[in-house]
Amino acid sequence: MRKGMRATRLKAGGVLIVLALVYAFCLWVVSPDLGRLWSGLPRLMRWLATGFPPDFSGPYDLALRASETFAIATLGTTAAAILALPMVLFAARPVMPVAWLYHPVRAVLDTLRGIDALVFALVFVAAVGLGPFAGMIGVALHSAGTIAKLWSEALETADLAPVEAALSAGSSRAQAFVFVLAPGTLPQTASALLYMWEFNIRASTVLGVVGAGGLGQDLKNAIDLLDFGRVLADLIIIVAMVVAVDRMSARLRRRLL
Amino acid sequence: MSTALVSEDSLGASGLRLSGISVALGGQAVLSDVSVSVAAGEIVALQGPSGAGKTTLLRVAAGLIPAAGIIAVGDDIKARPALIFQHHALAARLAVLDNVLIGSLSRIGLLRTTLRLWPDAEITYAEACLAKVGLASFGPRRADTLSGGQRQRVAIARALAQRAGVLLADEPVASLDPESATLVMSLLRDLAHNEGLAVLVSLHQPDLARLYADRSLRISDGRIVDHDVFGLLNSTA
Repeated sequence: MRKGMRATRLKAGGVLIVLALVYAFCLWVVSPDLGRLWSGLPRLMRWLATGFPPDFSGPYDLALRASETFAIATLGTTAAAILALPMVLFAARPVMPVAWLYHPVRAVLDTLRGIDALVFALVFVAAVGLGPFAGMIGVALHSAGTIAKLWSEALETADLAPVEAALSAGSSRAQAFVFVLAPGTLPQTASALLYMWEFNIRASTVLGVVGAGGLGQDLKNAIDLLDFGRVLADLIIIVAMVVAVDRMSARLRRRLL
Repeated sequence: MSTALVSEDSLGASGLRLSGISVALGGQAVLSDVSVSVAAGEIVALQGPSGAGKTTLLRVAAGLIPAAGIIAVGDDIKARPALIFQHHALAARLAVLDNVLIGSLSRIGLLRTTLRLWPDAEITYAEACLAKVGLASFGPRRADTLSGGQRQRVAIARALAQRAGVLLADEPVASLDPESATLVMSLLRDLAHNEGLAVLVSLHQPDLARLYADRSLRISDGRIVDHDVFGLLNSTA
């Protein structure tokens, strides 16, 4: 008994030492300097002050940029869902028709999730040129991995008793999936999709930095020109869009439960 | 609702025959040379302690667990009986009628399933099954709004929709209150005696077996060890 407790204490001590080493390494790499932050704050405040009033001039151009961001996120998320659907069939144990494909498909999903939409967009700018199309591809590829992973987890944690009942009643696995399992997990799968849509509205604003269009493009230009009035206007529109989409998806989620 | 649940082409006139069933799980014999037959129009209780092999035998009979031996509905060794699960196994978010229609999935294709294009005859039959279990007006309701007893009756309706001729029920009243248990057991007995189905039901309660079954089989350590006949007591529905 005492031997076991000693081993547990030693293990906990070891974990603490490893954690301390990891944090020490991170602090050494980042070198956070609160003094530098403190001395730079007045300059930041001056810049922020020059942002008032926000510059909403050229409303047509702003609306066009905002609609590009919305379109990149919406089309990108839809394309991601279409890409994710076949992958999820091979990445979720209850529906997986070919056992040996499970790990390779999971590896593909991890790769897609591991590469940010920004990086995909940067690569595809080279292929399809500057503009929202490259952004949409970036969003779609990165989100497909995330959506497929979230969906496969929803399927793997679902109540499989009704599926077994359907199979014992003579249904095929595909029938059991479309008629029993998919509707049974709809709140989780739809919620994951709506979450990704919200996430992509936010993510799409950053894509402008690599020339993939949207409000991010306007934001980058404004920051480069130190036009803080315009920066503030862009940020207000981004927050308004995110809040609107968040409300809309919350309402949809409630209806799906 | 006058639709007959056991038609001429269904297997209502046939019984269940399990012959020489043996199953080993993880190297351990769970069932050893078990033979059971249930005639059409008969309800047989399967009794025994937990772990005796009741559920395994029913799942083998339903084709969910591979086993050595012969499983036949009448003379047909490809036909499988319908299984009523202990905890109903309904799709909670689906409507009651959709849950019953799950019993019909083997008769329609994937495209129709995906588009929810049920043939009228299947819908009529599913409604008749619901009426048979006393839930005719419950079709549009979501399954998760029902009580435990109602859910178990929907599970029976789903099994009826399979048109299997043989019903297997795995402790169907285990989680029900006495009133619902009585209702479910009366229903199973009526389906045997009035509709001509062969019913094999595992039960923990000897009093329920005596009240509702025609015969009782006792299973212990994967073997049938005892046999009681209550036929005279329960010959009238």
